[in-house]
Amino acid sequence: MARAFKNTRKGITGHLELAERELIRRLFEDIIAMLEPANAAAEDPLAAMVGLDPHAVRPEDSALLRLLPDAVRGDDDAALEFRRLTERSLREEKLAALRASTLLLEHSRLQLNDDQARLFARAVNDVRLVLADRLDIKTDEDAQALHDIDDWSQAEDLDTYLALVYNFLTWLQEALMQALLDGLGRTREA
Amino acid sequence: MEVMISAIPPAAGAGTACAPAAVLSTVLDADTEAGTGTDAWQATATDVPWVVIVWNDPVNLMSYVSYVFQSYFGYSEAKANKLMLEVHQLGKSVVASGSREKAEQDTVAMHSYGLWATCQKAE
Repeated sequence: MARAFKNTRKGITGHLELAERELIRRLFEDIIAMLEPANAAAEDPLAAMVGLDPHAVRPEDSALLRLLPDAVRGDDDAALEFRRLTERSLREEKLAALRASTLLLEHSRLQLNDDQARLFARAVNDVRLVLADRLDIKTDEDAQALHDIDDWSQAEDLDTYLALVYNFLTWLQEALMQALLDGLGRTREA
Repeated sequence: MEVMISAIPPAAGAGTACAPAAVLSTVLDADTEAGTGTDAWQATATDVPWVVIVWNDPVNLMSYVSYVFQSYFGYSEAKANKLMLEVHQLGKSVVASGSREKAEQDTVAMHSYGLWATCQKAE
């Protein structure tokens, strides 16, 4: 069983069993596959280099849309123009965080500096956003209704399994955030 | 990835609601310093204040949102928690304001953290 993260003199430390690390790694890889451009080979290399994507469109998949949301409300044209100028960079940034976080899962003992912990928190958060979309969590009440599902022996259907994974990642991220917040507090006191 | 955004011409169609005045591929660097390197042509867009709005969602943890506001914007714990609770309880909160370019950078930065943010002209 995982042990929660703690902020120690050696950085932020935690412990994840092999099965837990494999699960998180597979989830990271799923999100990486979602975010990688579908037609990378056909892209204009110069546009790609500067982060532009003149052909970007609003994602049809609601989970992908949650990862790459519209930056403008009530003006689809402006939102699309913004997306074409920024979405590619946003994808790259999320991919970088996910790939870096995958590498942090090599050993059962995790020892992270603040930068690594921030990347890991972002990667876990992106997984939670996608799982929440698949679980149709739209309100605080929806989230609360799933909150008590924590018995892995009851994982008989996909939704229950996804809810268990979601709750595990929520627990993990909450512990990580408390450790990061502890670090911020200490920096202020120093 | 670092890109010299000053080498890229401004977007066409300036004047539409939120058409980016700048290419925002330097968001990764925005943590350190605001709006450098684009002085040559941003002046026209900076007179009108813009705002960044973060919207509530049931997924992002309160601790995570507060941490993002503290670490990205440099806000105190008290200010970050106040904004976080506004998002949570009122459904949205204006978390930053400033030039259009900065508001756009901050909006994409919020998206990189998985927060649901939009930008617009200040009302």
